[in-house]
Amino acid sequence: MLPFNQLGVGRGFGDDGRRTSIGLGVHNLSDDQVAAFRDAYRQMMQINDNRGYQYFAGLHGVPSWYCWHHQQNAHSAQQMQLFLPWHRAYLYNFEMAMRDRVPGVTLPWWDWTLRSPRQSGIPNIFGVLKVGNQTNPLVTFRINLPNTSPALVHNTKRHPGNPDDLPAQSNVDDVLSRTDWNDFTDAIEDVHDAVHGWVSGDMGVVGTAAFDPIFWSHHAMIDRIWWLWQVRNGSGNISTDLLDTVLAPFNFRVRDVLNVNDLGYDYAAAQAVASAGGTG
Amino acid sequence: MAKTPRKPPAPAKQVTPRHRRSLASPTRGKEGIARTYTSRPVPVEFATPEHRFVRADIEISGIFHGEASYEGRIFLNNPKADAKTPKDLEHGYAGSFHIFGHGGCLGDPGHCEVNEHKREPYDFRSPHPLTPAKKRVTVTEALRNIAKISKAVTITVVPVVTAVNDLCDAENVFRCENIKFVTYN
Repeated sequence: MLPFNQLGVGRGFGDDGRRTSIGLGVHNLSDDQVAAFRDAYRQMMQINDNRGYQYFAGLHGVPSWYCWHHQQNAHSAQQMQLFLPWHRAYLYNFEMAMRDRVPGVTLPWWDWTLRSPRQSGIPNIFGVLKVGNQTNPLVTFRINLPNTSPALVHNTKRHPGNPDDLPAQSNVDDVLSRTDWNDFTDAIEDVHDAVHGWVSGDMGVVGTAAFDPIFWSHHAMIDRIWWLWQVRNGSGNISTDLLDTVLAPFNFRVRDVLNVNDLGYDYAAAQAVASAGGTG
Repeated sequence: MAKTPRKPPAPAKQVTPRHRRSLASPTRGKEGIARTYTSRPVPVEFATPEHRFVRADIEISGIFHGEASYEGRIFLNNPKADAKTPKDLEHGYAGSFHIFGHGGCLGDPGHCEVNEHKREPYDFRSPHPLTPAKKRVTVTEALRNIAKISKAVTITVVPVVTAVNDLCDAENVFRCENIKFVTYN
């Protein structure tokens, strides 16, 4: 299997030693890329230790509850706006674990604003039950937490709404038009909340959302929108106090995750390479 | 600016023995179960045509988010609004917010008690994940329209439940401490 940067997709980084980008939409993956993506999930789902799918999914809600949502500003008037930075650190660690299994694989974003034939609501690659003679690992995951209270042992399910009710490009444009960091992060979090509710089922509540395989591509989309906002606004007026806040359990502070290029990926819309050796 | 205080969020439901069996996946809420909230009339003289403002928000704070997930549809001066009411200005629709709920208490007794007020001065741990949330919905056009013809408006929140399980209170879905209008000029 070729790594993605050799598949001619033409996005993100390539030959400079950094890893390739997250910059691939679910809707435009090649067959080889889909196969690599599924392979990484399938392998991670078979690992029960801290390299496995259940471990990473369990950091978000049940049983570890590390995730940050809303402002949680209990200690001071300062708003603890960690929703975007925490999930960027989370995606980074998950994607690196994927790449430990399948070198070069990247996490594609689910652009829920698209109304394309390959994606009416839930994208086809997350919806088709069988791939050849194997089950599709992007459809469901068996949560196996018998010791939580109550026990959680079931296959994740979805109850998606009407595809027309998913956020549209106009909603994203509205979010991107907000120049104040606090205003922006509140607005994008609400759009994020709406998509979780639209998928419903396990994806619909914080406790089990990350066990649904579509969770990660939804958050790649949210992370992409944040980056698009950063391209326009820089890091914005994030409180300096917040910049050194640790994003537990990951070894990142907020300031460490502000630039996706520093993390080795990009969300460029297109890339045209002019090789050395031109005339003149 | 006007305030509409409400009682604080109720504590999350605790696990009872009947929940010892494995919890099933959440489902969508059944229509008509979740209670609609309507405020007392709130004076809105600050939004009449002779007052200039470029943006008006409804700010809802102290929102409990420990259980079901839902869309909170906000209607002005339409206390009879329900999940079937069209989302347009004619029916007083002002906008929506979305709550990504935790899905009920998935821990032992006490796990979901926030208890922020009992913290020691040198407790630097992260806030409790269920520290109440705040949402802001921009309602500029809806408020302008209503303020032309009314001196006071009611705020109705219709919760449309998107994910709920056996651990969640399916009736008392929307719980908050405060709702207020905020305008900017």
